Amino acid sequence: MNRTPQPQSSTLNVESLAVASRSNIKRQTSNVLSHILDFVLAGIFIYAGALKAIDPVQFASDIDNYKILAWPVSVALAFYLPWLEILCGLALVFRFLYRGALSILSLSIVVFTLAIIAAKIRGLDITCGCFGHVSQHWSFPSHLATNLAILAGLLALLIKATFENRRQNTV
Amino acid sequence: MKSSLVRQGLVLVLLALLPAAGEAIYFRDKISWRSAIAPSEMVTVEQARGWGDAAIWVDARPDDEFASDHVPGAISLNEDRWNELLPQFLAVWAPGKKVVVYCSSLSCNASREVARRLRKEAQLPSVFVLEGGWEAWLKKNR
Repeated sequence: MNRTPQPQSSTLNVESLAVASRSNIKRQTSNVLSHILDFVLAGIFIYAGALKAIDPVQFASDIDNYKILAWPVSVALAFYLPWLEILCGLALVFRFLYRGALSILSLSIVVFTLAIIAAKIRGLDITCGCFGHVSQHWSFPSHLATNLAILAGLLALLIKATFENRRQNTV
Repeated sequence: MKSSLVRQGLVLVLLALLPAAGEAIYFRDKISWRSAIAPSEMVTVEQARGWGDAAIWVDARPDDEFASDHVPGAISLNEDRWNELLPQFLAVWAPGKKVVVYCSSLSCNASREVARRLRKEAQLPSVFVLEGGWEAWLKKNR
């Protein structure tokens, strides 16, 4: 009845444990990194939103400078967009309505970037208004680089969240 | 899964309406929904020229653009060097004078901003933005 120890199977067990622990460490590292990215992006959007929310008159004028929208639409957006940014930023921090917030922020960054490019092509002398007066003297390349970096971060988080959501649904 | 993403997005979009509406009510007296600049604050090249010596022309464009050309007699006052240039402007200003601020064109923002600061920070009463800016002045004068 006494079983003799099987060295081969115990080695396999140790190896599979090591693999599981390595993948666990990888997952934890990726989670920590994505949380850091969450906080960084949330900070950017909350800060940008707050700067614009305290001076909607200036922001309406910044939107109007793009010469894409009628003035009443610029005013409506000047009141609305900062709060949308702030709410989405808070959603990233608290991981509440998380994927919705990432989608809205990604879409808005794409729209802002296209508007900046369109203004540049049309030769408009604009203040982007992205970060209130802080971004007043940003050059076109720095605008573009900042927006693309933010978009890359948002898309990375969105892809990760989508995969995690899919995995949870299948388990 | 897609529907939950859209639902989340919609909740956020609708939630943001509440503080936005509150802010719109709070700022109702500080912003016009009809025009970026109230018509009473705009002036055409002809009107401003008609004021003659009663008008002080203020160039809100960057230094290099002012250096290359400007309205004769205009004073440079841009936001880049606001603290440095404002005292020079105030030394020329006198009560009863009308201030005409211009920047490069219709699409620029600098003249509107400088005019706003002159009214708000320097408490000047008669500050106007030149319609069409430097481009409009050039068209009428060359």
